[in-house]
Amino acid sequence: MKRKSIILALFLFLVIAFVGCNNANEKVTIEFWHNYSASDGQITVLETLIAEFEEDNPNIEVNHVFMEWSALKNSVTLGASTGVLPDVLRGDIAFVPQFQSLNVLLAISEFDDYETQAAKVLASANSSNIMGDDYYGLAANTNTKILFYNEDLLEAADVDVPESLDELWAALPVLKSDSVIGMVEPWTGIWNVGPYIWSEGGEVLSPDNTTAEGYINSQIVVDVIQTLADLYQAGELAGPSMDPGATGDTDGWASELYAFELDGPWRAASNTAAGINYGAIPLPEGSEGSISVLGGENFMQFKNSSTEEQVAAWKFIKFMTDEHAQVEMAKVGQMPVNLEALENAEAVTAMPLLPVFQEALLTARARPVIPQWSQVEDIIATKVAEAITGTKTVQVALDEAAAAIDELLGD
Amino acid sequence: MFIMSFFDWNIGFQQSSPYIGLENYIDVLTDPIAKRAIVNTFVYAIVTVPLQMIFGLAVALLINGIKKFGIIFRLGYYLPVITSWVVVALLFRYIFANTGLMNYFLVDVLKIVDGPVSWLSSRWSALASAMLLGIWKGIGWNMIIFLAALQAVPRNLYEAADVDGANRFQKFFYITLPSIKGTITFALVMLAIGAFNTYTPIAILTGGNPMHQTEVVLTWMYFQTFDALNMGYSAALSMIVTAIIMIITVFLFGITRRKKVA
Repeated sequence: MKRKSIILALFLFLVIAFVGCNNANEKVTIEFWHNYSASDGQITVLETLIAEFEEDNPNIEVNHVFMEWSALKNSVTLGASTGVLPDVLRGDIAFVPQFQSLNVLLAISEFDDYETQAAKVLASANSSNIMGDDYYGLAANTNTKILFYNEDLLEAADVDVPESLDELWAALPVLKSDSVIGMVEPWTGIWNVGPYIWSEGGEVLSPDNTTAEGYINSQIVVDVIQTLADLYQAGELAGPSMDPGATGDTDGWASELYAFELDGPWRAASNTAAGINYGAIPLPEGSEGSISVLGGENFMQFKNSSTEEQVAAWKFIKFMTDEHAQVEMAKVGQMPVNLEALENAEAVTAMPLLPVFQEALLTARARPVIPQWSQVEDIIATKVAEAITGTKTVQVALDEAAAAIDELLGD
Repeated sequence: MFIMSFFDWNIGFQQSSPYIGLENYIDVLTDPIAKRAIVNTFVYAIVTVPLQMIFGLAVALLINGIKKFGIIFRLGYYLPVITSWVVVALLFRYIFANTGLMNYFLVDVLKIVDGPVSWLSSRWSALASAMLLGIWKGIGWNMIIFLAALQAVPRNLYEAADVDGANRFQKFFYITLPSIKGTITFALVMLAIGAFNTYTPIAILTGGNPMHQTEVVLTWMYFQTFDALNMGYSAALSMIVTAIIMIITVFLFGITRRKKVA
């Protein structure tokens, strides 16, 4: 009997020990949704980075899932009701307020070492994650828009690289010919017209984001949009969203139709691929300076993940925002947010325009971080398009925009 | 969906969705873009449905009357049906672009206009481009449906008509059309439903631009659902579209039934 008890006790001990050991070694699998570009080799780099992360963290497995931009957004929107959500997401900075309005994001500033990690990245880029007192993400990559120009077209028209917005606008009629349009602006949202408005001292919304009246329809904004309207109606500025039959910007650059465009880092890659002789400078200064718009992506986490998954996901985010991963991603076209990576010689070699973007990032502004931003920007894009195409006078169109935005914000 | 349309539906995690009665329906019916989208969809349906059927029936009659190469013609006309909407819509976008094929023919070859026409930059010309695409892509489907119906018309009716000295038009209007009336009704209803579900041609040709002038109900519904997250509004819009389709279907079947009784 005694022997049997000893054997039983030993057996139970081994079972408990085995189970305990098994739990300790059990892998936590996290799902990572992203829209890194496969064509630029970013997914290959991501897979290498994931392998390195898994080697350093043998208890964590990362399953990455690629989705293109809109599919990523739609999947999270649907996932808010179905519960099918990832543990980590790397998506557009504009997703943060919208997803937070769905109440699915985890306030990752609650992690003890969030501040330490956040201090490693550009504060301006990380500002797109704050809502209220909490941060709902950590900057993953950043970008802003700088002025690209076709050197051959400028030389042929004997036009100097502009040093101010006024010089830029004055150059467009000179460049116009049967085969050249001075500039292209693919859309009319704040992503596009915001830099011109801000650089001239205008605003879109009040500082507390509660009203547009007196801001989007102020005299400064009216003057800026009137300038664009005059250029568009003279055929010196192309706008494929206002004229869907117009040549798109990438095709227009490749065929040397467009001489100028305010655009992000992807324009460098496509121009190089098209063999275009181009240059780039930060947005030329308006009366209040050179203020471009902040873009990029953030890492986000979700509430419905288990505690283990949340901790593992945070570890992965820290890995992806440290210098090594950021430099590797810079080599395939993702502009780093990590401060050390921004100064890293390998990153600068891989992205020759990095110093230009860095200069522009010093003054770039984020679009307002409010849940209704997608609708606000649609109103602005529609009304600015009406103004630029001459469907309405600029003042009337912008007054209507202010009224519509205020109605939306008041709901 | 019906229930959702009476609530300020919040899709988010653990969020409440207050009951707001008919407010979503009022929002839709007072929204100028929604009204424009419904009108555009009606115009698309009114133009594309009859033209697809007329051309489809004409092609079916031609192919039904030939002895050789019938299979080749059937295949040729049916190819657009099995081609991806996205691919052909992109092709049409290039054809109707300012520097596209259509303007090349009009300006450089035929020299009947001075400068390129901005087909996709105004509401009606952009919709006309989308309608042309819809008609071109739909002819093959109508041809197959009508060809099957034509082959089921009893030969002896035509032989009797020949004996009575009926000409080709009399045979078409007094024998062929009445014999395929059921197929015509079927095609009419299916195409009307299809026209109200049109999305890809507009999404790719114009994206609803410029300034939401070319929105149709589905592109506007998609925007409200996934960009604006207005689930209640979208549900109300979809219920209104469902009601419109039901009314049209009942009306079309009603016409056929009344004629049968008469």
